[in-house]
This record gives sequence, C-alpha cells and structure tokens, in this order.
Amino acid sequence: MKFRCERDPLVEALNAASRAVTTRGSSLPVLSGLRLELHGDQLQVTGSDLDLTISVRAAVSGDADGVAVVPAKLLSDIVRALPPGAVTVEIDDDEARIGSGRSQFAVRTIPAHEYPQLPEPAESSVSLDAGAFAEALRQVVAAASNDESRPILTGVLMAAEGDGLRLVATDSYRLAVRDLPGTSVLAEGQQVLVPSTALRELSRLLSSAEAVTLRLGERDVAFEVDDVRVTSRLIEGDFPNYRGLIPNAHPNRLTVGREQLLEALRRVRLLAREATPVRLVLKADSVELLAITQDVGQAHEELDAKHDGDELTVAFNPEYLIAGIDVTPGDEITLETIDALKPALIRGVDTPEFLYLLMPVRVS
Amino acid sequence: MRLVIARCSVDYDGRLSAHLPLATRLIMVKADGCVAVHADGGAYKPLNWMNAPNRLTEEEGRWVVTNPKGETLTITLDEVLHDSAHELGVDPGLQKDGVEAHLQELLAADPCSIVEGLKLVRREWPTDIGPVDLLCRDAEGVAVAIEVKRRGEIDGVEQLVRYLERLELDPTLRPVRGIFVAQVIKPQAKVLAEARGIACVEVDYDELRGIESNVLKLF
Repeated sequence: MKFRCERDPLVEALNAASRAVTTRGSSLPVLSGLRLELHGDQLQVTGSDLDLTISVRAAVSGDADGVAVVPAKLLSDIVRALPPGAVTVEIDDDEARIGSGRSQFAVRTIPAHEYPQLPEPAESSVSLDAGAFAEALRQVVAAASNDESRPILTGVLMAAEGDGLRLVATDSYRLAVRDLPGTSVLAEGQQVLVPSTALRELSRLLSSAEAVTLRLGERDVAFEVDDVRVTSRLIEGDFPNYRGLIPNAHPNRLTVGREQLLEALRRVRLLAREATPVRLVLKADSVELLAITQDVGQAHEELDAKHDGDELTVAFNPEYLIAGIDVTPGDEITLETIDALKPALIRGVDTPEFLYLLMPVRVS
Repeated sequence: MRLVIARCSVDYDGRLSAHLPLATRLIMVKADGCVAVHADGGAYKPLNWMNAPNRLTEEEGRWVVTNPKGETLTITLDEVLHDSAHELGVDPGLQKDGVEAHLQELLAADPCSIVEGLKLVRREWPTDIGPVDLLCRDAEGVAVAIEVKRRGEIDGVEQLVRYLERLELDPTLRPVRGIFVAQVIKPQAKVLAEARGIACVEVDYDELRGIESNVLKLF
C-alpha cells in the first residue's frame, strides 16, 4: 500500500477512527490498531472495539492498493507531529513508513488478517435532519447511565411514536424524553436500544453536517455523516416502562424564566458541596433557592416566578437539575410536582416535544 | 478534661499571626495537653487550637500555651463564666460504620442480594492461604467464591484469583467461579476481574441494612 495526502485531513481521519479503538486491554491485540484500506484514491480508516466501530473515508493520492493494520496511537501521534504539508505512507509486509519532508518514521504493523470481520451495515437507509437529531441527542443522551452493571440503562431507546421518532434515556434518577415528529425511521411499534457511547460519538460529528443517514440492522445500527460511519451493536433487553413513571396530573406548577433559574442555580450550586442538594422553596410569586453545606456555608437566592399550588420545599441534585433545565427549550419553563418526594416534571412552556423527569432528594 | 467558658480574646503567634477579638467562647484543655478554643457553632473545628505536646502557663487573666516550635497561643480572659474539670477515662475509639466484616455478615445473611439464586455454604471458607469471605452455590449448584471489600481495588481481585486457584484444587468444589463484591469497584479492578473471568457486583450498604436512602429513584 502506498499513498500521499495532506497532513491535516489525514490527522482528522486518524483521530476520528481512533475514538473507537479500545484503550483497555482487549482479548484481540489487533484492535489496538487502525485498519487502513486503500482502493485507488480512496483510503478507509477503521477503528473498533467490536461494540463500536468508526470508519472514515479520506481522499488521497493512491499509488498502490492494499490493507494494513497500524498501531493506532503511534500512527496518530506521528502524523500529528509532522510538519504541515504532504505526508507519504508506504506499507509493506510488516512495516509502515511514514514521511514528510526530512522526517521519516518506520513502524511495525499488526498482521491485517487478524483484524476481525466487522458486520456490514444494512442496505436500507433513512435520512434525518442532522441539526434536529443533534439537538435531540444533546437533550437525551446525558440522562443515560454510565453504570456498566446495568447495561440496559446505558442505552438510549429509539422508538416509533405516532408518525415520528422518540428518544428516551434514564439512569433511574432522571428521565429525558424527546419526540421528533414527522421523522419516520422505524416501523410502527418498532424500538431499538442504542448505546449512549455511540450516540455521544455521533453527536461530535453532527455539528457541521446537514444530514445523517441511519441504517438499521438486526443487531447493529450505523449512522453515516459525510465521510464518517459510526456503527454500534444494539443493546439487547427490555427498556424500563418509562410511560408509567410520568404522572398524569400535578397539583403544583411553577413557571419561571429558564435562563434566570439556570444562572441562579449555577451560583447557588457553589455552596452545594459533597452531594448536598439544592432546595427550591416554591411560593406564590417567587422561588427561593437554598444550598447549605455544613462547615462550609450557605447560599440563598430568590427569583420572581409564578406558582400554582401549595407552598412547598423540594430538593434536587443540582447537577441533574441544571442539566435538565439546560436542555429544556424555550424562554420559560415549568416545574410540576406532586410533593417533595415524587418525581418533578420539567418542560418548556409551549414545547411539548421534550420532557425531563427528575427525582428529588429527601431532606429533613 | 477541663472546660472553661469565658469572655476572652485569643492571639496566635507562629507560622502566621491570628487574632480572635473579645467574645464568649469555650476553652477545652484536654488531658494530653491539647488546648482548643471553640465558638458556639461549627461541628468540630475549633477557632484556634494548640496540639500536644505543649506547656500551659496560667497567669492572672491570661493563659499562655507554648509548643516546642516556639509558637504561642495567648488567651486573655476578661471574665470567666464557668470552670470545671471532668475525668473521662480511656476512650474506646471510633468504630467505623460499614466495615467489611459487617458487609460480609449482611451478604452472608442474604446472598441473593449479590446474585439471584445464590445459597451460602459457609462464611470464611478455609484455604491453605487464608479464608475466602463467602463460599456459595449458585442455582445450578456451581461453587462460587466471593471476596467482599468496602472499596474494590486491584489487590482485592488478585486476592480472589489466588483463592480461586486453591479452591480449584478441591475436587468437591471445582469448577469454582469468583464474584468480587464491594460498595464501589475501581475501573482498573473491573478490567482485571473481567480479564480473569471474575464477575463484579457493587452493593449498597444502606440498602442491605434496610436504611432508606435520601437519594430517591424513579424505579
């Protein structure tokens, strides 16, 4: 294999594919490498940990086709460190030679035949608006769990809902639900559970894209954005019955400016240390925020707000509360609750397509 | 323990200078010589203090505490409101909650809280390199060796690997699988356990004790 290309696009391709390369010890040492495949002037760079695969196409000036596996970190570090300009890569049986100007590197390769056969994405595809999908992912993915001992909760549920798509994630402390009306991706009643790690990687690619193509297989899903394909295994198992968690009616409803509440929470949080919750005292015309950390101090702030219901004090994990309000759309939000120990529902006024359900923290 | 409540001001002179203006405070003089000045607030930390060993010199309206480094704590007494001394005896020390032994005891009483279907064979099952915390049988009758830690780190996994090697030598037990149980297991320990074929389970100590957590869950 031999090709030549500019340093910066090669660095981008290597970096993107490297994000799927396993950093932990793997039973397959070959997965610590990037698979390079050259056909004509088209280079495909692939990194995988078998659960997540990222494959990037890059246009190069190809001299000789071929396939090779090169240690991922070393290759990325070398190319990144080269001076700007053209880079030449030449790979024979067991050595990759990388050069630019007067800099020359020779790196031992990993036998390419050891690289596992990765599943081919499904042929049928659906195209989604990248901006809307990116916004939906931003709202939902953060609510997924990082606890690998509960794999179901590390996924984001993608389900057909009416004529659109619904994304749902929960870590058992909070639940985020986002509807994308009119986005027909799945058949009626169909739902899949996509690892949040894959969707986080996808989110990084969507900021500058116009469309994302989704290919859904039986056991995996692929997202294509421009020259990058992110493929992930689907999580098998039943997602919790989240619909039953959302109360139908709330006797207490606070309406408050979103930005004002967010800024006040960020200030008050400074004194909510060591897992101390932030208390919200819901009053008729205001909401008081209070954080007290023993032996450190306390913070208090009052905001104008409209509250329908009884005066009530309810406490939340400040990080989860801020994260939810931050992704809730609109200038004004509502916080609806039954009492201090029941889940609170946060929504934007007049934006029914997103909701965030958050469990309070018990305080004396 | 001598307890003095007094209107006093305090000056510390040492690595830095600090001054506490006149106010009513509690001065504690402990049997080992420690002197601590407390306000009526804060859970545990004195406003100023001098650790033992030191020398307390009492003068009329003034105490001077000096330590071997030459640092001084000068307490100027304006009015003494209370002065008493009490014999506290030898302190038995702090018994920390959540110790491994209690965790092991709770898990032995309810092995299903680790994995459904587990039945306890014996606590502290002896091997020739030391006892394994719990030996159980799973629903299929397979022997399961369980190592219990408060914090799950690599050395705990390695300890369980050594026990498993010894238990595998016993024809009445083998095959034996391992479960590493802790309140929190570090990522490196999880990786090592996975590589050694050992399952990791994190348990909630409060839940095992039947204590309701303040952190509420949706499900």
